[in-house]
Amino acid sequence: MPALEHVLVVNAVLFAIGAMGVLTRRNAVLILLSVELMLNAVSLNMVAFAVYGHIDFGNITGIVFAFFIIVIAAAEVALALGIVVRTFRNRATANVDEVNLLKW
Amino acid sequence: MGDGVTATQVVFWILAVVMLVSALGVVTAGNIVYAALFFIAALAGVAGIYLILAVEFIALVQLLIYGSAVVILILFALMLTRARERPQALFGRTRPLGIAAAAGLLAALIGGIVATQWVTPGSAADFQPIALQQIGDVIFTVWIVPFIIVGVLLSIALDGAIMLASPDEEE
Repeated sequence: MPALEHVLVVNAVLFAIGAMGVLTRRNAVLILLSVELMLNAVSLNMVAFAVYGHIDFGNITGIVFAFFIIVIAAAEVALALGIVVRTFRNRATANVDEVNLLKW
Repeated sequence: MGDGVTATQVVFWILAVVMLVSALGVVTAGNIVYAALFFIAALAGVAGIYLILAVEFIALVQLLIYGSAVVILILFALMLTRARERPQALFGRTRPLGIAAAAGLLAALIGGIVATQWVTPGSAADFQPIALQQIGDVIFTVWIVPFIIVGVLLSIALDGAIMLASPDEEE
């Protein structure tokens, strides 16, 4: 088994890469992909804590959390892509910096 | 765990490197379709790490929901928005700022991990994989109400997605 710290460091790097994608990309679909990377890092973290904490604390709540995160991420992707397709139809762009309809 | 490098650790690091390189590909690829393909590799890497942690159920859910359903949705969205036909800048003007912010976040996270004293199990012999039956027991007893709510939420979200994406007939 890899040490818990190593798993956590790998997850932290994955989370930061996802954050970098969210902060640097323009295309809404690519931003969504980066958000998914961040969600993956978080659920992997939850599972790591559950798997290692299970031995000492006998608690597997982290696994349930990861399961719920995956299910809710699927719902979120479906909705977000619906919004992207709709925006593309109305504004002919999928770039978030060109969709400034709500800008005050 | 302490003495020597085990085969599991080697496989873990290989998977971790593949996953992180693919993730970097997702956020830096110059072609949108390549980014989506890198995303599949990153998801497969995450599923592999779930297998290393001996939670086959979550690995399977990951591959079935993320690896197939979500990826297909995303490829459809890329197709429908015709992202590939018009060459355009893929990165915003504030890209250096974003990279700096992500690097700062990474430094903060790793600083926190290094500064914390983690309780780690003494040896690999202590390690007990979590049985699928245990997960099922917990989900359908302790977490049954959230489970039902998540089911309702999922169907509402999918209905909403269909409504959002379908053309207006009355206009």
